[in-house]
Amino acid sequence: MALEIVDLEVGYSREVPILRGVNLCARDGLVTVVIGPNGAGKSTLLRAIYGYLRPSRGDILHEGRSIRGRTPHQMLDEGIALLLQGRSIFPAMTVEENLELGGWTIRRDRARLRQAFEEIYARFPVLKERRHDPAGALSGGQQRMLELARITMTRPRTLLLDEPSVGLMPKLVDEVYEEIAKLKEERFTILMVDQNVKKAIEIADYVYVLNLGENSHHGPVESFRDRLEDIVREWL
Amino acid sequence: MDWSILLDPLILSELVFQGLVRGSMYALMGIGLSLIFGILGIVNFAHGEQFMIGTYCMYFVAAVLGLPFIAGILFAGVVLFFVGMAIERGLVEPLRRRAGRDWLVDSFVLTIGLMVVLQNLAQIVFGTRRRGVTTLLPGSFEIAGITITYERLAIFLTALAVVGLLFLFIRFTALGKAIRATAQHAEAAQTLGIDIARIYTIGFGLGAALAGIAGALLISIFPAFPTVGYQPVLKSFAVVIIGGLGNIPGAIAAGYLLGVVEAYAIFLLSAGWQAVLTPLLIVLVLIFRPQGLFTVQGERP
Repeated sequence: MALEIVDLEVGYSREVPILRGVNLCARDGLVTVVIGPNGAGKSTLLRAIYGYLRPSRGDILHEGRSIRGRTPHQMLDEGIALLLQGRSIFPAMTVEENLELGGWTIRRDRARLRQAFEEIYARFPVLKERRHDPAGALSGGQQRMLELARITMTRPRTLLLDEPSVGLMPKLVDEVYEEIAKLKEERFTILMVDQNVKKAIEIADYVYVLNLGENSHHGPVESFRDRLEDIVREWL
Repeated sequence: MDWSILLDPLILSELVFQGLVRGSMYALMGIGLSLIFGILGIVNFAHGEQFMIGTYCMYFVAAVLGLPFIAGILFAGVVLFFVGMAIERGLVEPLRRRAGRDWLVDSFVLTIGLMVVLQNLAQIVFGTRRRGVTTLLPGSFEIAGITITYERLAIFLTALAVVGLLFLFIRFTALGKAIRATAQHAEAAQTLGIDIARIYTIGFGLGAALAGIAGALLISIFPAFPTVGYQPVLKSFAVVIIGGLGNIPGAIAAGYLLGVVEAYAIFLLSAGWQAVLTPLLIVLVLIFRPQGLFTVQGERP
């Protein structure tokens, strides 16, 4: 089990928890998708796993070890990366500098860093082409690719993706999910939170539904295909 | 007055050089303020007091110990780097932990309070007497008819070297890149493994060190006394407004520009009008280019 969330309670203030005892597992090399209506606590879940919020109860296990209480900047060393919601490039820095910062935790290992650059440039030729341009000059889709490339520089084993397609043009949305499908082929463990239920289900292996900070349904994606519309209708 | 003197190349170049010397201080102060704002989102009202501590550092090294001026510059830079880091760790960081939405106002209150405390502390420890060094480097030379004192040249070149080193550091080193990344998107920098609390501390230390170096450099013009930082801090605010808040190349350009403009103003205008020119420039910039003269819209350092 790559990532295991046990009875997690967390909130911005102690009196009003956003997550009220959530349980969840992300299995090795599979795509686990968390869906739910607005305010269900989906993004809060990822932020709590990544150490931005302190849980008041429960535990977070990565590869069997508790990572509760770690700070966000320690997570890559634990093998976990987070794709933030919205734009997160460093716009005034070049594409190459952005990637270099993706390799911040391996900056002293020159050989490994060089190899990471080679792999990333092979996977995203457009980033290689534009490596000397400021990242802010890239198109919206290219910026998202850069963000995905940046969090995989150190080959973390688990990826947390927070609304990967939000705010993108429909054509680019497909590109982003294709890219995530490729990451899945490379056996990254992926925990994705998404509003775009249809797209997310297409690449999901396992689905959790959160509602009002609690588990509502979960199961392998096959069991969801027919029930999906009913579930979404419940939210309205 | 006789305006034809404006066409005299000697006077022109003399004024430009004077302006560049003056601008050296403005640039150093402005970059420090801009750096701290760009990284931490704090307007540091105690920036002038860091300048003040720098003047005392130089007085101690040059007048008390009798060491060469470059030792005073280094001493001021190192002392203020640690003072800045201590201020960040001890005062700013705990505030950041607690404050959420009111962060900006809280940081105003904190740095204004710090300004008052440091001024009064200096008064208790050192008294109000002005402690100056009349000349750091005696002598002068003449080039193409302009007389340049070694001291002015040293101020100009030292400032240029400090600005140049800082630029190279921010631009090319791993830590410099982490600083820029934190200024542009702190949360993203954090997800990539950068310890942003450490970057904040180093950033504040660097900004303070620049103010300290400015104070040390200019001791013959601004002797050490508790409220000596008042005028330099006002000028550094002028520089960051003209150059664009948080924009470091903008602060460099605006610092030298303001220096040259003021050199001309002092030469050409009567005393009363000299003081009006800089505020006028600020008002004009705020009306016509509120993002600063040298900022591309939407760009951060």
